[in-house]
Amino acid sequence: MSSAGPSPTALRARGLAGFRAVFAREFAAAFDAPIAYVAIGATLVATTSWFLNEFFLTGKLDLAPFLALLPWALAVLAPALGMRLWSEDYRTRTFELWRTLPLSASQVVLGKYAAALAVLVLFLFGSLPLVALLEWLGDPDRGAIAAGYLGALLLGAEFLAIAAFVSSRTADQITAFLLSALAATVLLGLGDPRVVAIVDGLAPALAPGTFLAATFSPAAWFAEFVRGHVPLAGIVHMAGVAAVFLFLNARSVVEERS
Amino acid sequence: MIRVTDVSKRYGEHLAVDRVSFTVSPGEVVGFLGPNGAGKSTILRILATSLAPSSGTAEVAGFDVTRAPLEARARCGYLPEHNPLFESMRVAEWLDFAAAVHGVNGARRRERRDFVVDRCALAEVLGKPIRACSKGFRQRIGLAAAILHDPPVLLLDEPTHGLDPLQVVAFRDLVRELRPGRAILLSSHVVAEVAESSDRILAIQRGRLVLDRSLSELRAAAEGSIEAQVLAAVRAGAPA
Repeated sequence: MSSAGPSPTALRARGLAGFRAVFAREFAAAFDAPIAYVAIGATLVATTSWFLNEFFLTGKLDLAPFLALLPWALAVLAPALGMRLWSEDYRTRTFELWRTLPLSASQVVLGKYAAALAVLVLFLFGSLPLVALLEWLGDPDRGAIAAGYLGALLLGAEFLAIAAFVSSRTADQITAFLLSALAATVLLGLGDPRVVAIVDGLAPALAPGTFLAATFSPAAWFAEFVRGHVPLAGIVHMAGVAAVFLFLNARSVVEERS
Repeated sequence: MIRVTDVSKRYGEHLAVDRVSFTVSPGEVVGFLGPNGAGKSTILRILATSLAPSSGTAEVAGFDVTRAPLEARARCGYLPEHNPLFESMRVAEWLDFAAAVHGVNGARRRERRDFVVDRCALAEVLGKPIRACSKGFRQRIGLAAAILHDPPVLLLDEPTHGLDPLQVVAFRDLVRELRPGRAILLSSHVVAEVAESSDRILAIQRGRLVLDRSLSELRAAAEGSIEAQVLAAVRAGAPA
């Protein structure tokens, strides 16, 4: 029997092993139910068929129409992947396991989040045949494509962190999905020029629409990525929002003890 | 060693646990009795770091459950009352997961896994998804995960719930085997069950400890059977 137990140093060294164990469990669990297959499959079919229609009409070797569609696709896909992260544990009472295994809140939160993000990356990989098609037909702008995919990854990471936090506040997966999708849609909508113009019109001197779009919406930053730029401020914005919601998620998990 | 000192737990206006204190020494098996809602599971959940006490202190193997929860968890095996399990995992995967998060690796993992599979009689379900296992197997799967990392403290909430009589006997034998050097706290509704496995009995009523006596004291007492004494203490509801 290990009466002395592990030393504090050994516990710290165990941090990465704990993260890996959570990641592996959650990645496998994501594919236990049909939701991941259905969400990825349906999103891929919808986005690629829309893009191929545009592509054959215009005949331009440009992935931008597909990339421009991704924010709205991710506003649905990320909540679909994130809704079960905590809600499922509340429903099945396995939340108590996470609280009593020797894992810190950050290990569990990051392990679960990374597993869901890996599933989202699979979706992005699933769209690579479109890139292969453009490469086969001609010489597309590879830099713009790479920047667009980086932007999509960051945007997906932001929406997924929001979905994970919302999931940590409710035992009902449908509620978690709807609230997360609503939040993502509002964030995107705030950056729509028409919305900005309408909101600015409410108080022209203060230009609240411009302020809300610049402060909260990732839409303008994502458009920069699609144009082939990699704006550092955009990376900081999207990664920063994700970090804030992961922090809130960890707080939410710890507060459940009291 | 388990040490609970003046622990209270309040949910809003409701006082679920009221200034409870006790210790469980290494090598000692203590049975925790009380009616539904008396506060047994709340105290076990506080010791397992699942709940924070409103006041007082609780220690597991020398570590305060509030200030050093990870150290306490690493030294504690816990079987919760409702025995939640990751339904989609196979039994072998669940045991490997439990071993990994407790840092039990390599040859030691194989050795410990063989031990718990043998003692909890899990060989025939190792490849099955947990969701396909019967209630008796599920209880043994939870118990196997609780003892897999060879912890110095065991907290077992209704451990024989769902077991058939033969499995209950096997559980008692396992507790006897695990006892040396280990502090074991097990809760139950059944006085006879606790009396079979324990050295000492604690009884709790309305969040207050109303009995804390060794089994030999209870057996030697002239006030009647062990069950009668426990019931009298619970009915009286007086502090121990």
